[in-house]
Amino acid sequence: MRQSLLAVTAVLSAALAGPAAAQERGGILNFARYDGSNLIDPIYADRNPDIWMVGSLFDTLLRQSPDGSSVVAGLAEAHSVSPDGMTVSLTLREGVAFSDGTAITGEDVVFSLDRARNPDLSPWAGLLGSIDKVTAEGREITLHMKAPDPTILQMLATFTTGIVSKAAFEAAEGATDQEKSAAIFAAGGPGAGSGPFYLCGFEQGTSMEFCANKHYWRKGADGKPLPYLDGVHFEIIPDDATRILKLQAGEVDVAEFIPFSRVPELQADPTIKMNLYPSTRIIYSPINTRETRADGSPNPLADPRVRQALNYATNKEALIGLVLQGAGKPMTSPLMAAATHLAADLDPLYGYDMEKAQALIAEAGIAPGTEVTFTTLAGSADDSTIFAALQQMWAPLGIKLKVEQVDGATRGAKNRSGDFDIHTYGWVNDVNDPSQVTGWLGYTPTANAVGTGWENAKFNDLFEASATEMDVETRAAQYAEMQKIYAEEAPLLFMYETPFAVAVSSAVEGYVQTPLGNNVFEEATVSR
Amino acid sequence: MDRVQYILKRLLLMIPTFLLVMVIIFVLVRLLPGDPAIAIAGDRASDADLAAIRARLGLNEPMIVQFWLFLTNTLQGDLGQSILMRAPVTEVIAKRLPVTGFLTVYAVALSLLIAGPLAFVAALNRGRWPDTVIRTVFQVGLSMPVFYIGLILLTFLAAQLRWFPVGGYGGSFIEKLYHLFLPAVAVALYTSAIIMRNLRSAIIEVLDAEYVQFARAKGLPDRLILGRHVLRNAMISTVTLLGLSIGNLMSGTLVTETVFAVPGVGRLMLEAIFARDYPLIQGLTLTFAVLVSVVFLLTDLFQSTLDPRMRLT
Amino acid sequence: MTETSPLSAAAAPPQKSRLQIALRKPGFVIGMVIIGLSTLLAVAPGLFAPYDPNFIDYTAVRQPPSWAHPFGTDMLGRDSLSRVISAYSVNMQMAVLATVFALVIGVVVGALVGYYRGLADMIFGRIVDAIITFPFLVLVIAVVAVLGPGLVNMYIAITLVGWVYYARLMRAEVIAQMGNDYAASGVVMGYSDRRIIFRHLLPNAITPVVVYWMTDMALAILLGSSLGYLGLGAQPPQAEWGVLIAEGRNFITTAWWLSLMPGIAIVLTGLGFSLIGDGLADLLRPRG
Repeated sequence: MRQSLLAVTAVLSAALAGPAAAQERGGILNFARYDGSNLIDPIYADRNPDIWMVGSLFDTLLRQSPDGSSVVAGLAEAHSVSPDGMTVSLTLREGVAFSDGTAITGEDVVFSLDRARNPDLSPWAGLLGSIDKVTAEGREITLHMKAPDPTILQMLATFTTGIVSKAAFEAAEGATDQEKSAAIFAAGGPGAGSGPFYLCGFEQGTSMEFCANKHYWRKGADGKPLPYLDGVHFEIIPDDATRILKLQAGEVDVAEFIPFSRVPELQADPTIKMNLYPSTRIIYSPINTRETRADGSPNPLADPRVRQALNYATNKEALIGLVLQGAGKPMTSPLMAAATHLAADLDPLYGYDMEKAQALIAEAGIAPGTEVTFTTLAGSADDSTIFAALQQMWAPLGIKLKVEQVDGATRGAKNRSGDFDIHTYGWVNDVNDPSQVTGWLGYTPTANAVGTGWENAKFNDLFEASATEMDVETRAAQYAEMQKIYAEEAPLLFMYETPFAVAVSSAVEGYVQTPLGNNVFEEATVSR
Repeated sequence: MDRVQYILKRLLLMIPTFLLVMVIIFVLVRLLPGDPAIAIAGDRASDADLAAIRARLGLNEPMIVQFWLFLTNTLQGDLGQSILMRAPVTEVIAKRLPVTGFLTVYAVALSLLIAGPLAFVAALNRGRWPDTVIRTVFQVGLSMPVFYIGLILLTFLAAQLRWFPVGGYGGSFIEKLYHLFLPAVAVALYTSAIIMRNLRSAIIEVLDAEYVQFARAKGLPDRLILGRHVLRNAMISTVTLLGLSIGNLMSGTLVTETVFAVPGVGRLMLEAIFARDYPLIQGLTLTFAVLVSVVFLLTDLFQSTLDPRMRLT
Repeated sequence: MTETSPLSAAAAPPQKSRLQIALRKPGFVIGMVIIGLSTLLAVAPGLFAPYDPNFIDYTAVRQPPSWAHPFGTDMLGRDSLSRVISAYSVNMQMAVLATVFALVIGVVVGALVGYYRGLADMIFGRIVDAIITFPFLVLVIAVVAVLGPGLVNMYIAITLVGWVYYARLMRAEVIAQMGNDYAASGVVMGYSDRRIIFRHLLPNAITPVVVYWMTDMALAILLGSSLGYLGLGAQPPQAEWGVLIAEGRNFITTAWWLSLMPGIAIVLTGLGFSLIGDGLADLLRPRG
């Protein structure tokens, strides 16, 4: 019954749309960005403004399924993993081509993957560390593994395995791979990439142009090749307020990173669609867990009970109301966004409980008036709000919260050297798998558990074991255990998850920002 | 003193000045907390990656060696490679400097258009209501932070009335005039206020001077007096003032260019500082110092040409 | 150009005390009143602020102006009027502390090099050139980043740069004064250098410096606000006009009061200092 009803609706809507509603095609989409790209290359992209654009220029063998839970065919039309996990086989789609029309061959795939897993070249090589060798015979690609890797298929759907043209790299000027990549990027034009667009204009720090790849393999709703757009024009406008004005004035069609304080106002604007795309973005605050501070004084936050108390005393719902205007939700897994594969649901994760917090503080013997410094990003309105709210929320614990505003580079340096008490931070998954974020936040050898200095032998063992665990259920259990430990130890102040707030003119359809942050223009249209 | 000799002496004196500027900025950027390697590789980079980048950038060399390289390369016209822009610093600056230059000249031109006539009105009505009104209005303009007035201009004149574009930088000359109008106005609010104040007192000074009073007493028409004496004096003092405030003007573009999304050197400087792009910060500072020094010299030359009382020393 | 030429108004004024003359100038009086009131607000903000400026009320964010909150409330439900008033102490402090040390250092250095000239003057000239040709805001931002953000470090940074302007002005004035008879007669009479500099030259040379100081105080507030906008000045939750405007910028169409009120405060204070400066310039101008 339910099925037939669905069928009827489908027929109806198709009839309503009618044959006259031909697919909107052509035009340039104008896009206002908060920050510019430096080098869009599958292996050298290291900042979000680079990473999130890689997919537009370089297609991958596999693609994320629409819900992000699994992978589907991409440049490879078929894929399989051997039962022992030691061999991954892929079949390259017939007739796929780079943006200049030359065919994508097995050789290009081998070149691209070898480049991506070369630790001397790529900072992302670790993601592909389990691959021993890549071979190609005609359209058949084989990955020979050193060890089974539960994440390998996801990695083949990740930006860093984007397929580049071997011929373009060989022809490019420069002695090293990096120089060649920079030369290709600087020259622009079709040929190097396999994505729906190619770079056709670039002014460092100012603007960037994408042009449609006429040889892209995916088909649109009208049966003709994607993308629908002729191109995308990007402008870099770092000031939030100016970026929004640009959209309101009709000079751009999309403005990204809308401050949440502006969301309600833009939602009320009939000419603008205020989109809140689900994301894997979490906002959290690393807490220094070392016994002593950088200046040698004893660190009250070394006691897990104090960290737990801070978490209980933080009213996340109130923070979400103040900072995000309600457009967010408290973290429910201590290690990752709820949308991440294998995220545990520990809701409520440190629900607001002042009595418990005060009891824990008393137990830990923290004297009233204990000073704690909160390091925030200078010029960030969100950080100032968070600080002011936390200062008031933690006052009943006898904690005197002081602020220290620094710029991003200083914050990074402080995080590395452990010269902080608590500071704000954010994370977006680059890979649709929990291993990356878990390694970053908790596994000590990666980055001292996001600079907190937290070290838990059991956690580290579990993480190492999970890296080669092919059994789905065992791996899930390992992740559940890690999240439990992490929640209890509380090396972070667990805050909230936020969507990506992107304001889009009502003339635009089909633009998407994925949960990993990738800007997807493939199916975007703009009606003028 | 002979003019050529004077210029040579001034140019010679610039050498120690530039050296001092180079030392200050070189030491200052290296004192900044934060690591350019992190700016390149991101917060997540491993320590080994960072060490490799630092080695590649030559940041592991002793300070004195780094400075010697900076000095000798600069003398050969090589300001190094921008870390942020991945391009030669000279190339990056050459691309962005004209934008800031255009904006600055535009703003000064607007300021003169606004301040010039009003300064005359104020001076001739000294102490009476037109004077008070004009001075108060300019004072208000002078006291407005650019990041606030800029946004007000953008919100009402650009986004709501759509008379002007919100940001950017056009291609042709006319397009540039149009695109940069609002940022130029924002800068001019400040500049015109100081020009107006200066011009007004310069005019008053001339009007009060004995020879002018004498000319008036003889019945020469005001227009003639204004043309002959006042204009000249006003021009000298305005050019001097503008020359001397060139540093402030260009410094001010830091915030203006960020608010108005204008791709000039001011915004570039701010980005370079935040990214700890040592070569770019050094290159921009040095360029700035050279520009300002040259403008100072030109100002003095201009002044001495117009005003025979000024001696070149 | 009317028949009542300004010249007739300038005809020989009767001799009165300078203060009397100044008090007849409305601009000067208005300036004094503004700065007097501002100082009062700065010294005792508690007397005027209706609420605790840092008290957060989640349930009353961004309320428009009302009787309870004449300037409305901000994004944390804090009373905007109380925040604008409490900012007076920081911003007035900025005006004074960011300039007064530069003034003292500049006056002393300027007087000394102006009097002695020679090698010290030569070195001074290079330092002045280096600092003046340096992008001012860059130097301040860099120094603040090195020392760490905060008001005290901001004052240090501004002073490091700002003294040069006073010193240059002072040096020029001293050199001009030296040409006068009384300085020469002081030397002839065998007065000590210190006496000549501080008892004779300085009092006569300081007028333009004091006038410049007034303008500089207004500029210091603006500069402090710009640094606040960049997050390098006053630290939260302390209210500061630049920070308040920066916070309110995002709501310029929906909650205009957030940025307008601190904007008015900055303009008024700047106006006050400048009016006093203009008045002082007239008042202290040597008349013969």
